[in-house]
Amino acid sequence: MAILIPLLPLAGAALVGLIGLRGLRARSHWLVILPVAASLYLAVQLYFQVQASTQACAHGVRQMFESFTIYQWMLAGPDSWLNVSFRVDPLTCVMLLTVLIVSFLVIIYSVGYMRDHHGHAERGYERFFAFLAIFVFSMCTLVLAGNFLVLYVGWELVGLSSYLLIGFYYQRPAAAAAAKKAFLVNRIGDFGFGLGILLIYYTFGTLEYANVFRMIQAGVTVEGVPLESARVTTIALLLFCGAMGKSAQLPLHVWLPDAMEGPTPVSALIHAATMVTAGVYMVARCHIIFAASPYAMWIVATIGAATALFAATIALTQFDMKRILAYSTLSQLGYMFLALGVSAFDSAIFHLFTHAFFKALLFLGAGSVMHAMAGEIDVRRFGGLRKSMPITHATFLIGGLALAGFPFLAGFWSKDEIIHAAFESDMPWLAWVAVVTAWLTAFYTFRMIYMAFYGRERLPEGVEHAHESGAWMSLPLVILSIGAIGAGYLGVTIHRGGFAGIFEPHGAFHDFLSRNFGRPEVSHEGGGHLLMYVSSLIALWGIATAWYFYRRRPTIPMAIALVAGPVYRLLYHKYYVDEVYDRVFVRPLRKVGEICYDLDRYLINGVLWLITLVPRGIGFGLRRWQQGAMQGYALGMVVGLVVVLWWMLMTT
Amino acid sequence: MLYLADTWLGDHILSIVIFLPIIAAAMLFSRTAWQPESIRRFALGISLLTLLFAVLALLIYVSDRPGIAPAEWRLVERSDWLVGEDDQVPLRIQYYVGVDGIGLPLLLLTALLTPLAIWGSFSGIQDRHREYYALMLLLHGAMLGVFCARDLLLFYVFFEFTLIPLYFLIGIWGGSQRQKAADMFFIYTLSGSMLTFAGVLFLGWKASLLPIGPDGLRVFTFELDRLYQLAADGHLSLNTQWWLFIAFFAGFAIKVPLFPLHTWLPLAHTEAPTAGSVILAAVLLKLGTYGFLRLSLPMLPEASIALAPIIGVLAVAGIIYGALAAWVQRDIKKLVAYSSVSHLGFCLLGMFSLHLAGLTGSVLYMVNHGLSTGALFLVVGMIYERYHTREMDHLGGLARQMPIMAFFLILFALSSIGLPGLNGFVSEFLVLLGTFNSEKFVLPGFKGPLGIAFAVPAASGILLGAIYMLYMVGRVLFGPVKEPGHGFDSSTGLTRDLTPREIGVLTPLAIGCILLGVYPKPAIEIMEPALDRAVLARMVPQESASLARYDLSDKHKQAVELDGAYPVDSHADASNLDAISQSDRQHRMPVHLQPEIRNPSTTRREVLR
Repeated sequence: MAILIPLLPLAGAALVGLIGLRGLRARSHWLVILPVAASLYLAVQLYFQVQASTQACAHGVRQMFESFTIYQWMLAGPDSWLNVSFRVDPLTCVMLLTVLIVSFLVIIYSVGYMRDHHGHAERGYERFFAFLAIFVFSMCTLVLAGNFLVLYVGWELVGLSSYLLIGFYYQRPAAAAAAKKAFLVNRIGDFGFGLGILLIYYTFGTLEYANVFRMIQAGVTVEGVPLESARVTTIALLLFCGAMGKSAQLPLHVWLPDAMEGPTPVSALIHAATMVTAGVYMVARCHIIFAASPYAMWIVATIGAATALFAATIALTQFDMKRILAYSTLSQLGYMFLALGVSAFDSAIFHLFTHAFFKALLFLGAGSVMHAMAGEIDVRRFGGLRKSMPITHATFLIGGLALAGFPFLAGFWSKDEIIHAAFESDMPWLAWVAVVTAWLTAFYTFRMIYMAFYGRERLPEGVEHAHESGAWMSLPLVILSIGAIGAGYLGVTIHRGGFAGIFEPHGAFHDFLSRNFGRPEVSHEGGGHLLMYVSSLIALWGIATAWYFYRRRPTIPMAIALVAGPVYRLLYHKYYVDEVYDRVFVRPLRKVGEICYDLDRYLINGVLWLITLVPRGIGFGLRRWQQGAMQGYALGMVVGLVVVLWWMLMTT
Repeated sequence: MLYLADTWLGDHILSIVIFLPIIAAAMLFSRTAWQPESIRRFALGISLLTLLFAVLALLIYVSDRPGIAPAEWRLVERSDWLVGEDDQVPLRIQYYVGVDGIGLPLLLLTALLTPLAIWGSFSGIQDRHREYYALMLLLHGAMLGVFCARDLLLFYVFFEFTLIPLYFLIGIWGGSQRQKAADMFFIYTLSGSMLTFAGVLFLGWKASLLPIGPDGLRVFTFELDRLYQLAADGHLSLNTQWWLFIAFFAGFAIKVPLFPLHTWLPLAHTEAPTAGSVILAAVLLKLGTYGFLRLSLPMLPEASIALAPIIGVLAVAGIIYGALAAWVQRDIKKLVAYSSVSHLGFCLLGMFSLHLAGLTGSVLYMVNHGLSTGALFLVVGMIYERYHTREMDHLGGLARQMPIMAFFLILFALSSIGLPGLNGFVSEFLVLLGTFNSEKFVLPGFKGPLGIAFAVPAASGILLGAIYMLYMVGRVLFGPVKEPGHGFDSSTGLTRDLTPREIGVLTPLAIGCILLGVYPKPAIEIMEPALDRAVLARMVPQESASLARYDLSDKHKQAVELDGAYPVDSHADASNLDAISQSDRQHRMPVHLQPEIRNPSTTRREVLR
């Protein structure tokens, strides 16, 4: 059954490719919606089975942690095959449900989004849905993988889907460049990731999760010698390279903002809710490896916190709604890595889960605005859309509140759980970074909301009147906003006297995942209360500041930008990271390539020319006897052969 | 039950495969009155017939008769060719063909690629049809012969014979610099293989001095089985092996081409007609790697192990150098040509890792590179026929004009950069795995010559490969539409996007790429025993080969048997298996640490006993 989950969307994609082109073009979305719905249904079934078995039996759980082999793929050594294997456990289920729910909603949304205002399908409509289906297939493969090889397969395939979808509007040079950049930056990470996988095989002689983890816990390598901690750290850091690429953490974050060149549903699905969280999923999946290396954990936490803060500061100054959201995604992913780094693996997955809802919601809302504004997404060019787009406004506001950590919405529970875990860890200073970031998050989110939806209605040129999107687009928004409100409660327990032990990982969500991550011991209760008040206040403070700056005194931001000119420019230009990379890496490498080619043409061929001078010289001397007739060459060969044979026979 | 292998067909199938195209070429050459249309059909028909027989050979090869242990070589046919009577040392050069798991995949690759190359040149070749197709068929037969030959002299004859048709193909139907390219190609490769020929003669002579072989007679022969025996019996000193290795190296490394002997390749590729480039990249380069695998490694094992690090360094240099040089090209064809330099570096790296995974990856790499690079050259040719340019500066946004072409170009580019699910990934991963673990492939007394230090820089190839391929795809397919001044040339009778014929040419290659990527097991199962017997068994010192491959200490066994270390709730009850559905359970293997770690007694290979 688990096999069908990825295969159905793949079959859908193939069908679109084969028959979607003819006549059925504008209907090709059904070929994708139905398989994804079926996969979602199967994933729910799978969830119930896992749920039942985890409650009921140890044997079932034991089985669950083993991978099951689909078929043998390649030969790694004598009689030893690397298999295509899957593995189903609670973590898999959570990820599958997250991925498939959001995918399903985004695909429905796309039916409305990928059409013009007259309901005609855009150019490449069927291609878009085929690519989306390929993405769902790849992501499910990644999540269901039972060994590192299949993980890598899914990892690369989601990268491919991302490449294809970012470059969907391939005629726009910016889109083509962004697609290439995304793929290549990911490949930098994959270089490390691939080496990590090779090192795992080198060390443990297997790539199956279960075997690798068991050997790490036992602390031995395949030869039976004790495992050095440096080796584990190296493996963990190499794997983390992959996560940095896929989840766009510093310093490989540069591709994600550019990836917003893709259609907005793609940004919502791939570049916010699902694919970019693959790095988080992978680290959580390999938590046994990471937990075995404090140094690697320190790196993960630090990079996470640094990215969270870094991206939030950039988001303060951007005007493109999708880019603001992209930096916000970077920042939230940073939170997740912070959680991973402080061993709060289930909190990271919890935040991943809630974030998928509210961030997909925000992106789809931005898409709705963009659709109404004829492709314009710069918040300086429009405003006051509250009246004309009520559904979009309401749902976007809910998403914004959830992102800002407004009390009792999804983001509040999951984010503050991370901050709480960071305070509890041995790196409390990282928690302060997270708190500062929380304030920034609330501020930039509401800066965007106030600029886009409040004030006098302004429309970009060429748009007569803003109008609300149709049902295909509104329905997913409403469903996602329900998730953005309610998803957080899966991680909260209200029994035992109110909110006691709040922000401690005790909810149903964490119970379910405890099969993966173990059940954390209950720490001293009540610590969450203070944090709850503080973080609520921070969220409200951030929102209020945004209100004051952008509604009450709109001149203040301008003044700040003028006073803090260099800082503002630094942030506005995203710390000039792209420019630095271009100068430091891309151009020198290209230069090396040119040198290589020159070497080829001049040095090597020059040497060869010198070598050919020898026979040329001889030929010049011998020209008198041989006028270049074919017989001459034949004669030469025969004579040579005779001499050699004669010499051989003489020596015998 | 009738086994085809027992019939007349089974005895002669390889000869049919080899000589059918050659005889057809001779026939075609004499038919001066034929119209171009019938010449094309004839050539295509013959090459397809050859493919049919090659597939038949595969079927015979894999259909094992119960009770008969599979021989190392199958489909064998032998007869005397040049025989000299002498009282002491008779000369015995044979026509001796047969295939094993290394030759067969390459035979099939050749048999598949040539009809496609012929079919693909229907529109590109406008003059001298008769000569062109006759030469193609001649080339076809010669290439097939190389992969079947079991006699070193026969091998060499076929090996050299491939030069002649290709020389003319490049020199007559090539681009503007065709003369220079053809000369350079010919002289470069010929001068290398002259040294190889010296090595061949020396080996034969050396063999004639000693009573080797089961009969215990002294024979001046080039039979491969006897020559393999020379080193195995210790008749070749390390010093001799070195010199012989260098002699073979000269011929094969140029053919591969191994950095820094690759400079003939970009020029030859760029100037050759499309079909020439396809055959050159897909098959002729493999003659070099095949030569290393078939001759250098098993015949000169000690020298190969000793020199492997040097080859490894050159291979890694080639991977990086080729990729970087490819990136700065403006001509698409040159870019693909340099990518071959990079890819073939991987191929040799895997081979010289002397790790089973690396060797398997290496042979797979030969096939996969043939499919994907051959296909890329075909696509580039199709673009060229429409726009008469291959300059990326003059092209752009073609995805809009030619969506079907764009699909194929992206598919083959992805295959070439090793995207999982396509064929390139399997071979690339295996090569890297083999190289990485080379020194760990521990037999007592034997340690693979390469290691992590080679694998890490080589792995940068996965990044660099993506850089130049996506750069090319982006320039050609994406962005605003850009066509050269004269635009699309409709005079060739081609449509703007691919014609059904062109789709037909590319589709088999695409299917091959996907099949070998998703399920390469059948191919691997054909290759693996042959690699084990024909190469590894001859590389590894015999005394250590009889020992177990893995020596697991008791401590380790204890460790891996530790249960419950994984966070598992042990309080629950042990009957419910609902977590995974019924159908899945059937697939599940007992995963008590899978075959990687086994009982030493079961790891012995039949052949190594």
